[in-house]
Amino acid sequence: MTMLTFPLSRIEGHARVEIEINKGKVLSTRFQAMEKRGFSLMVKGVPAEQMPVIVPRICGVCSTAHHVASVKALEDAYGVTPPPLACIIRELLLLGQLIQNQATSLFVFTMPDRLGVESIFHVTEEEADNGVQFNIAKRALMVRQLGTDLITLAGGQFIHPVKAVVGGVSSGVDPGKAAAFQQRVIAALPTARDLVDTYWDISIRMKDRIGTWGDDQPAYYITSTRPDQPNFDSSSIRVMDPLGNCCSEFTASQFFDTLTFEETDYSYAGRTSYKGEVMRANSLARANMTRRMGTPLADGFLTRLRDEFGTPAHPILLFDLCRGIELVYALERAVELLSSPLDDQDTDVPYTPHDGEGWGLVEAPRGPLIHHYIIENGTISTGEFIIPTVHNMLAIERALRVAAERYITADSVNLELEHAVGRVVRAFDPCIACATH
Amino acid sequence: MQPLTDSPSLKTKQLPQFAVLQLSGCAGCEVSLLNANEWVQEFELVYMPLVVSAYEVPCVDVLLISGGVRSDEDLYNLKRAVRCSKKIIAVGTCAISGGVANLGNRDEVRELFMSQTERRDLPRLLPKSQPVDAFVNVDLYLPGCPPTPELFMAALFEDDEFNPSKTVCQECGRKKLKDMKPKHLTGFQSGEVLPDICLINQGYLCVGSSTRGGCRALCTRPGHPCVGCRGPSDLLIEKDSIAWLESIQRVFAALTDIPLEEIRESLLSPQLALFLFQFSDYAATGRPPRPKEKVL
Repeated sequence: MTMLTFPLSRIEGHARVEIEINKGKVLSTRFQAMEKRGFSLMVKGVPAEQMPVIVPRICGVCSTAHHVASVKALEDAYGVTPPPLACIIRELLLLGQLIQNQATSLFVFTMPDRLGVESIFHVTEEEADNGVQFNIAKRALMVRQLGTDLITLAGGQFIHPVKAVVGGVSSGVDPGKAAAFQQRVIAALPTARDLVDTYWDISIRMKDRIGTWGDDQPAYYITSTRPDQPNFDSSSIRVMDPLGNCCSEFTASQFFDTLTFEETDYSYAGRTSYKGEVMRANSLARANMTRRMGTPLADGFLTRLRDEFGTPAHPILLFDLCRGIELVYALERAVELLSSPLDDQDTDVPYTPHDGEGWGLVEAPRGPLIHHYIIENGTISTGEFIIPTVHNMLAIERALRVAAERYITADSVNLELEHAVGRVVRAFDPCIACATH
Repeated sequence: MQPLTDSPSLKTKQLPQFAVLQLSGCAGCEVSLLNANEWVQEFELVYMPLVVSAYEVPCVDVLLISGGVRSDEDLYNLKRAVRCSKKIIAVGTCAISGGVANLGNRDEVRELFMSQTERRDLPRLLPKSQPVDAFVNVDLYLPGCPPTPELFMAALFEDDEFNPSKTVCQECGRKKLKDMKPKHLTGFQSGEVLPDICLINQGYLCVGSSTRGGCRALCTRPGHPCVGCRGPSDLLIEKDSIAWLESIQRVFAALTDIPLEEIRESLLSPQLALFLFQFSDYAATGRPPRPKEKVL
């Protein structure tokens, strides 16, 4: 029996893949989260009101999603409904997060796999001469920056935002700043569209080279965005079967009645399943479970996806293409939201803190994110975080098995396996800091 | 391999190399670094697993270390990485003081940590999360949760002209009023904030008056009280935590009618404690304070 171990880079956090083989037969594939953050333990005894500032520190990549989910959990506990303007500003925050995350995953994490380089920040001599990659990198970082700047505009701080508060947001967005930012996004949209086009083209070239879009079996899908158009400030979760039928819809508080959560002894992250079935969250789930994106350029890309791959689409490298669709969507949607005044109405409603229980749900870039708090004597006695990456754990391991079986025979291990492992894991864009919170 | 560069002439220039070692943390420091791009043409990034496929930290001119030492693997990687690096910079609150991870160092939480985290074949957790300089020498401290891109650049480029204000308060620009004296603290996050007026006048527990400047007051200007993530200003950094507490209390005494006991109780709440004691924790452990010359 032999154990192959693959350390992973170009993902968020510390993880590795272990593949156990015996005479060419793949016995197991394991995706291991190697670190333990432990926020459910650390927040015990913390004053409830301070959670929205503490929990973004779960993850510097997904901090905005945690910030908003935390505020929503407290609002649920206190029985507060934020005013409409606050919801718009929170949607902007989540769009900023989506732009930043999808641009990072597309261009920093997965583009090097398509270009055959170690990092977007390095180029080979040959590449430096023809400048293709540098041209991509420079524009990609510019688009990514828009996400960060939108988080700053709507959320105050740029990594761990502070402006979402129980009852709303702490202030509106200055009209001058909103207009200036909107112009920047409008100016950048053609660049973003071209980058996604380029990404799509070089993905096709990679598929031709490796011979597959990722040939794992169909799966169940899970998202909390709405069926008509994605809104990441979400209110319920849906599960869809491999044929495209919606088989369950439930609120955050019904999570444990509907899905199975379990820990494993080989990873610091847990995993979920739906009635024993493997699920997938993240971009492909949302693309499969929405009627349309609702903005023109993004809908153009979605139509292209459906024309080429049908719906629901299952090959795993399509996760990456769907991130491109969502990057364009988030930019277009931000332009729409920035068109109306964001400082002309109340941004918050008064509330009275009290003990109780609350559930907060948002769609993070990686899928549905739930915060669950029980408040006793004004402090957190139970803090649970149900992380999107955890919904993908079984799907990652199943796809890794398919890849392993493709490249391992009784005689040899094809060295392409190492690249395949990276491509599979990055397609799901796992976040280890979050998953081990 | 060549670093990414705009001009062909730079391609042949020998650029200083830097690496980023991420221990247990949230990657927010790395994301902040990616938001700065001035380094792209001046440094060659040779190791940073978040964005580069490389598995060993090579000898570099500058090694940035983020995150706290939480597991035996963190400790091993830290000690290996520093062996041949010329300059070591600890970045972010976790690497410098343990940061938010200090919440897990409370005794009652530590017990849960150690009892619930047994795993087969994975790095083992150490009894406590510890700062980097508990194990290795650090040449420069760059505090912040996370440090802004501007601060990262000032550290990387050793920019002598970067001369930020001493405190967050001086960078904030909100007006302090003598005749607006709240009688009690406003909730930590209680909705709308009046523009342009000091948050302390509005009853918020803001510690910007004693917190190190350099962040451009990016939380307080949009209306969120400073939680002190950059640690104490130069005036307080070499003193113990009592001096810092007293300094904050004096500011509240001048600007508000809030009872002293109420301020003290709130300052010692777990959430502020993450940051409040980040440099002073050494008083209790017998280690010397970090010299202010080494803190950016």
